[in-house]
Amino acid sequence: MAKYTILCALLLTVFVAPAFGFDEMSPPTGRACSECHGLDVGETTLTVQSVRPRQGPHGGYTSGTQKCQTCHTIHNAPLGSIMLLPAPSIRDTCVTCHDGTGGKGVYGTLAARGVEATSGHRIEWTNLVPGGGSTGGAQAKTFLGMGGLLTCSDCHSPHGVDTVQPFTGDRIRVSAPQAFPTTAPEAVVKTDRLLKRRPTTATRSVDVYGSDWCAACHQGRLLASHPATNHPITSNPTNTAGVRYDWIRRVSAANTASTEWGTLGASNRGFVMPTQTVPPRQAPICQQCHEDPRSVGNDPARPQRISTLAGFNEEFRITAADGAVATDNPRFQMFPHESAVPRLLVEDFDSLCLNCHNP
Amino acid sequence: MTETTEVPAPRQIFSTLALVLAIIFAGLMAYIVFAMGNEPEELVPEIKAGIRARLVIGGPGTGERPDFSRPLGAAIDDQGRIYVADTGNDRVCVFDPEGNFLFEFGGRGIAKPAPGIMATWEPGLMNSPAGIDVDENGDIYVADFRNDQIQVFDSEGKFLRRFPDPLEKVGRGASGYGGTGIAVTGIEVTDGHVYATDSYQVVVFTTNGEFVRQFGRPGTAATEMDRPNGLAVADDGTIYLADSNNNRVTALASDGTPRWVLGAPVFDLVEQVDNEFGLPRDTAISADNTILVIDAFRFEIVELDRSGKVLNRFGERGAEPGGFNFPNAIDVSDELVLVTDKGNNRVQLVELVGR
Repeated sequence: MAKYTILCALLLTVFVAPAFGFDEMSPPTGRACSECHGLDVGETTLTVQSVRPRQGPHGGYTSGTQKCQTCHTIHNAPLGSIMLLPAPSIRDTCVTCHDGTGGKGVYGTLAARGVEATSGHRIEWTNLVPGGGSTGGAQAKTFLGMGGLLTCSDCHSPHGVDTVQPFTGDRIRVSAPQAFPTTAPEAVVKTDRLLKRRPTTATRSVDVYGSDWCAACHQGRLLASHPATNHPITSNPTNTAGVRYDWIRRVSAANTASTEWGTLGASNRGFVMPTQTVPPRQAPICQQCHEDPRSVGNDPARPQRISTLAGFNEEFRITAADGAVATDNPRFQMFPHESAVPRLLVEDFDSLCLNCHNP
Repeated sequence: MTETTEVPAPRQIFSTLALVLAIIFAGLMAYIVFAMGNEPEELVPEIKAGIRARLVIGGPGTGERPDFSRPLGAAIDDQGRIYVADTGNDRVCVFDPEGNFLFEFGGRGIAKPAPGIMATWEPGLMNSPAGIDVDENGDIYVADFRNDQIQVFDSEGKFLRRFPDPLEKVGRGASGYGGTGIAVTGIEVTDGHVYATDSYQVVVFTTNGEFVRQFGRPGTAATEMDRPNGLAVADDGTIYLADSNNNRVTALASDGTPRWVLGAPVFDLVEQVDNEFGLPRDTAISADNTILVIDAFRFEIVELDRSGKVLNRFGERGAEPGGFNFPNAIDVSDELVLVTDKGNNRVQLVELVGR
């Protein structure tokens, strides 16, 4: 009997001691968390010091901050949550702040306008990836949400760890102007959108938010995977110069249909245009056809009728600022979360094809 | 001779077991019915981090939607009546000072649909109500956030008027969908005026809805704002603004001139250490003329003097009475403080102890 008692005591010592090793008497700090946990990014566990400084709770953890405790409790997580989060699921946790009143709202904005989402990345709803098979076709994956469903943290790193290179956002944001100097109103604001270099299920790390990033999950959509059934797209393997996601043909001014070469981040101007990324002519990248639904540009020498969110046909013309001044509304940036247009396309019907293919 | 023991028949054992289980089940049902309803909780006034909860309300406790869904705003009037902007349910719920449910009004209506979609808004319907306040006449002002307008109701919840027109440009412009109306989150009614926070500015109306002035623009300078969410106006006209995404509280003269700023946007590792706030979301003026700031990311109420000096901090994270989980709005009635405890889907009327 005595030997069993000793054995139990030893086991308790081995397994319980680390928990008691946590200093609960000192003020909670980010350092206290990271000393035990680090930040797991798959193959590598990074220390908090290697994480990029960042405003808000998504990164920039130091010995003087309490950012970890913003989203995680140490004891008594409410509502039966996972990972000591404040809400029952990862999505619910994100929506706690990202409801449009402060954190950028990404889901629900369509519903607020009476529009039913017809396509999107259905969070905590599906585990099927269209084009997820290596040669095309849908394939089931195991994601990070409960039950293996796709969830926010499959694409985004809430800790700001190992994210893609910051790119010029497609709409101006007021946040972090010091981090990325701007000159209003044609400001350029870069962000990485907390996008992971290695989205869940990805087999390799992707540095740039371009076609290859999408193909981390939708690998069967790459031209090389199934040339007969895929539209040509530019990706790093097919373009040794690399993808310039932010170098696009954009509208040159308000109330005009003329275009110019430039970066994203200006007004509507600001959206990816359907012409080629970098001369000489190359294939488009995914985001040139799949983005927020809107009026996209085209060759002014050949004016086209385009469809808008409402499905009306009208000549493309910018009639109002969109994203560059204080009066703009940045609440309606939904891609790639949900869309009123099928397959998350920037336009539907023939208009999409006619932007590049002029019969 | 072998001694024998009489063994109870299996049927007898199971009958006894069934009786015990039935008693336990009946007791459990009685507990659920009588003790776990949505009646306001009878609180043992424990003190948690300087907070003594007086009343906890999780919803009307009746009807099709007995519980709140992520409530963003709450107000308390001079008689102690409590008004809750139940954001996720697109309604306002009204309670008496003891927390008993009185009535609700609202329902979902879309005033600014996307092109080609029919508007469903009718007077009184809402689309994500956020801030809420009550004037001295008992009229209720609701920040109808996703409809880009403010709606006014009488004390019984009858619709009176709305402003601004969500389809018209306001002043030099605001953040409403399509550049019209205002993307209003916080609201304060005082002295015949309505102060409303837009995404990057403060817009002032008369209580009849006439545009008076606006100030603020996107940015981090003292005159600039980033997603302000709540504000309070003192008797001398000073506006205490929770400039949420700039992580600060700014005292502004009535024309928008900054008087002082406490806290700062965070951009490098050094500054983060000493920042005063995690995410200030709303402010209120206490009965002692101090400023109370609700901090959603630090789960606390910060008390400031009128010059911006921190006096006290109250509260901690928790799901039990007195604890907060992403608290969002704050209001004051005499010595009691009303807090919208969004993450816990409830409002709490609390007392600050040890001031």
